[in-house]
Amino acid sequence: MPPRIPLGLRQSAAVCPGAAARTPAAATIPAAALIHARHASAVTPAASHEQMTVSPPPIARYPTTQPPSHKPPEFRKSQLHRQYTSLLRSTPLMLLFQHNNVKASEWTGIRRELAAALRKADATIPEGSADADLASGIKFQIVQTGIFASALQVAEYFHPEQQQQSATSSSTTSAANIPNATPDPTDPAYTHALSRHAWEATQNNKLSHALTPLMSGPLAVLTFPNVSPVHLKAALEILWPSKPNFPAPTRRVNPGYHEPAVHSGLQKLLLLGARVEGKVFDEAGAKWVGTIGGGLDGLRNQLVYMLQGFGAGLTNTLESASKSLYFTIEGRRTMLEDEEKGGEKKDGEESA
Amino acid sequence: MITRFITDVSTKFNPFAPRSKTCRIFLSLLPPNARQTMKINTVLLPRESRDRSALSLKFKDGKAMELDTEKLGIKGIVEEVDRHSRMLDRQEELNG
Repeated sequence: MPPRIPLGLRQSAAVCPGAAARTPAAATIPAAALIHARHASAVTPAASHEQMTVSPPPIARYPTTQPPSHKPPEFRKSQLHRQYTSLLRSTPLMLLFQHNNVKASEWTGIRRELAAALRKADATIPEGSADADLASGIKFQIVQTGIFASALQVAEYFHPEQQQQSATSSSTTSAANIPNATPDPTDPAYTHALSRHAWEATQNNKLSHALTPLMSGPLAVLTFPNVSPVHLKAALEILWPSKPNFPAPTRRVNPGYHEPAVHSGLQKLLLLGARVEGKVFDEAGAKWVGTIGGGLDGLRNQLVYMLQGFGAGLTNTLESASKSLYFTIEGRRTMLEDEEKGGEKKDGEESA
Repeated sequence: MITRFITDVSTKFNPFAPRSKTCRIFLSLLPPNARQTMKINTVLLPRESRDRSALSLKFKDGKAMELDTEKLGIKGIVEEVDRHSRMLDRQEELNG
């Protein structure tokens, strides 16, 4: 709408004669002075070139803690999947058990005995060590097998930190590809465990993790926050006792372990395998990890000792050739000297 | 699955073999008090083992059953066990 500007006297008087009579001041302005105003219009600054070509960055329509996901996040199974992925990424040592109809009361008993044994193992480790105070972080929990299998695939085969680099290099902003304000789950910026990209990374049929055959039937996992053979040994003595290395606690030492509820529950547990630092071990392998004395430090000491022995052996071998040469020559020299002496003596005897 | 008439279960399997699934699921189908009513013997083979998984059962009437877990799925095994168990059930009912 054009702005309202007082028009010439004659025109305004013609439109409304009463108004003109009431405002004599307006009537005194000459019409020639208002000519420039007749062509004026309200001026708003023109949009800059940048504003015309580039849209403002989209406002995220979701909280930063809840990015759009491939599966509906409000389902329990989505949240379990997230939880299992995070568990698999964070735990370096994990034992997989099959539980065959273990009752709730038996679970309680097993967990009680396990916690007691782990606390006892904690007490043997000196303060300040990496393995100290682990008992509270060791959990024995039942997992949903199918969701756990899927989470294992994501944890093993989806590495967003590697994919991120390629995504940033390929995404050049052009006028044709203005980012949409509505969240799009296919955006490569989303790299959480429930994202579309995580799902796509696991869809390759050729991928088959070594633990996949174990992912059937009822599963329970025992997770450790650190690779601690001392704690593993304590746990195996309770959950999977075997005679030479992992004896079960005796009735006198630990009467609670021999309660019928605990005992019948333990009979129904089967140790299927273990995952240590991303590597898969069977039952015997899990026991072997439990037998490493002194944990990782112990293993390092063993290696250093072995290498020292190896070095000493090598120097011995290298030295031996020169040594034997030296001994041979020395022997020959003494022999010759002896012969000379002997000859001299003989000469002396003859002359005498 | 009718497990009342089973007295003895012995299994042998390598958990890392995909075919061992049948054996493991059979074990999970046994009731919570199975250890009190029957003898259960499980042998876990090492991971590299190529041995076939095996499941052998004994019933109250003395019949021994060797089931091929590699060929029969868990459904087939349940069917075989139930076929014999139903017969024993009927006999028990008739005898009073």
